[in-house]
Amino acid sequence: MAALQVPPLGVRAVLGVPPLRRVWLLVAAAVLLAGCSVEAAPPADQQVSFRQPEPVGASVLAGPATTTTGPPPAACDVTASLRPEGLLPPEGQMPAGSTMAAIVASGRLRVGVDQNSYLFGFRDSFSGELEGFDIDIARQVAKALFGDPSRIQFVTLTSAQRIPALQQNQVDIVVRTMTITCERKNDVDFSTVYYQAGQRVLVDRGAGFTSLDSLAGRRVCAASGSTSIANLAKAPSKPVPVAVPNWTDCLVMLQQGQVDAVSTDDNILAGLAAQDRSTEVVGPRLSEEPYGIAVAKGREDLVRFINAVLERIRADGTWTAIHQSWLAELGAVPAPPPARYLP
Amino acid sequence: MSPARPPIRLQTITAAARTTPGRLGLFTVALLVLCLVFGLASAASLQSRSDALGDVVTSSQPLAVAAQDIYRSLSDADATAASAFLAGGVEPRQVRQRYESDIAQAGTALAAAASAARTSEQASRSVAELSTYLPVYTGLVEAARANNRRGLPVGAAYLREASGLMSATLLPAARQLYDSETARLASTEDRATPVPWLELLVGLLTIGALVAAGVFLRRRTNRVFNVGLLAATVASLLVLLWVVVTAISVSVNVGQAREHGSAQVQMLATARIAALEARGAETLTLVARGAGSEYEEQYGEIVERLGGSSGLLNRARDAIDDPEVRALVDDAMAQLGSWRDAHGEIRRLDDSGEYNEAVTLAIGDEGAGPAFTAVDERLGKAIALSTQRFDAEVAAARSALSWSVPGVVLLMVLAVAGIGWGMWQRLKEYR
Repeated sequence: MAALQVPPLGVRAVLGVPPLRRVWLLVAAAVLLAGCSVEAAPPADQQVSFRQPEPVGASVLAGPATTTTGPPPAACDVTASLRPEGLLPPEGQMPAGSTMAAIVASGRLRVGVDQNSYLFGFRDSFSGELEGFDIDIARQVAKALFGDPSRIQFVTLTSAQRIPALQQNQVDIVVRTMTITCERKNDVDFSTVYYQAGQRVLVDRGAGFTSLDSLAGRRVCAASGSTSIANLAKAPSKPVPVAVPNWTDCLVMLQQGQVDAVSTDDNILAGLAAQDRSTEVVGPRLSEEPYGIAVAKGREDLVRFINAVLERIRADGTWTAIHQSWLAELGAVPAPPPARYLP
Repeated sequence: MSPARPPIRLQTITAAARTTPGRLGLFTVALLVLCLVFGLASAASLQSRSDALGDVVTSSQPLAVAAQDIYRSLSDADATAASAFLAGGVEPRQVRQRYESDIAQAGTALAAAASAARTSEQASRSVAELSTYLPVYTGLVEAARANNRRGLPVGAAYLREASGLMSATLLPAARQLYDSETARLASTEDRATPVPWLELLVGLLTIGALVAAGVFLRRRTNRVFNVGLLAATVASLLVLLWVVVTAISVSVNVGQAREHGSAQVQMLATARIAALEARGAETLTLVARGAGSEYEEQYGEIVERLGGSSGLLNRARDAIDDPEVRALVDDAMAQLGSWRDAHGEIRRLDDSGEYNEAVTLAIGDEGAGPAFTAVDERLGKAIALSTQRFDAEVAAARSALSWSVPGVVLLMVLAVAGIGWGMWQRLKEYR
């Protein structure tokens, strides 16, 4: 627009217009020129505020964690379950009218499991099959029912989906690193203890964290709906609990630097540590986590049947063999957790 | 020239209008001005039509295609990555290649979109978002792949994160870019086809004035024809005809290009992307393994939107008149039918506990995979044919405009010369 500066003298003589009119002319010319030469200015470079992606469903836990849908529990005898009734019935020949007979008639046992807990319930990415300690325990139940450990339909569940899946009859049993608690016993029934775990902490090697106490104010990951996240929310050192759907999502967040630690049962942590040699399990056991097989309420015959199966595999060495094949990294095979029954 | 020349005043003009030569002079000036305005208006209008068509060919259409490419290849990459996961630790080579070519295609199209997207705030924001997160996405997929190959379940967690990033960030940005580029194409098409009201008005005025001048001269000078004015009248008539005929033929071509080209491409592209989304949902149902009922519902809903009686394919079929394209759409519908059959079988197998058989049917050499690929290919070909049709119609419209600006200018120079010469013949008789 520099060319539009008021021209000196001369022009007035040529145009023959007085100064005031000259100004109007200039305005008119400016308007005309503006109309034809000014284009929409290109927008400035766009700044995208980068947000590092997180696992789908990750969130900082606000308020106390709950692991059940019901009212707070009355005190209970946590690990006591229903006593088996005599010996197991012959495979494939369940007592008429029982829950087991209905399952056998349906042709398959529907089992809620995990596909994200390395060594306990995970998908072998070569064969595509689910494998692990929990999976082998579930197969023992199927074998006792059908005489065939492969008569199973696996339904993979997140921690938070376990109780609803039983209540909505999507699965017959849940074998998924599930801690027996009085709270949960309001909603479902449990077998006797088939594995004894305890909560610990997984951190990056050399990060300087030694236990949950050293993680005050730090972000610590656990699966939503698990007992682990409830314990984190109650911890006196006040870490910031971050909830995710699956345990492997916790490892992703640790690897991406979005949390400082993962805290859950030591066997699950061992499975995570086995996937990333730059991490280690530290600190003392913070809690005892007895695992049981969960069954929907009102199927006591199935609970007693499962307890009989567990009795058998404790006694005949199957439990020890399963432990050996999956959990050798945890050290020497312990004795199977003893069964406790209600009076 | 007198040293103190008085400014031209209204009285001077009215005084001139009282004498015949004065009137002739005024007429001459008015005719020349009218002719110039008419010529300029016509040339400018033809030039802007031609510019708009040029924009369609060089910018809007390629950008709409690029946006469609980005959207399609990203959806395809997501579905392909999920089926690679289903296939296990070492995915089949063609699955990996398909993923890689999707990412390469998205990257190339993104570069094309980035170089031209600066004209729209919305488009450039989408492009920036896509450029920021596409490398992050591929990084996550590679982390998933490396872990999968080692047999570690954390690979699946990375894949879930990647898929979440795709559906929460990348696909919405691609969708926005696609929508804004499609809207821009439509508005550029509109710019090429306004009704030439101004040119018509000025043109008729000019011709009317030329005829009036001829009548005036005949009365005042008793000559039947003034050759100069006659030539100017004919030239102006030709210009008016040229403008009107060109405007109509460009409108017809662009209308055809839109109806059988861009609108059709848009419909087919929407259908193709819906097929990809359905494939993604089908695969993710199996990845979720029993906990994927929301994906299954999504599949059912998308397939109904695609192949239902008033679905995308049926509507596209009704709107298409090109037999070759229509045959391709018919074929795609038939293939969709066999895909739906295979899907029903997959669900039956999975629901009865035969998971591995279901996976084989979903991603193996027979079953849902080839049927889906066939649907995708047919629709891809139909889109390519419709794009060709679009290009041909736009090329026809452009050829209708070729030489129009210099032609109009030449004719109007002729008209101006005719007026000048013709009037001068009369004026000089009064000397």
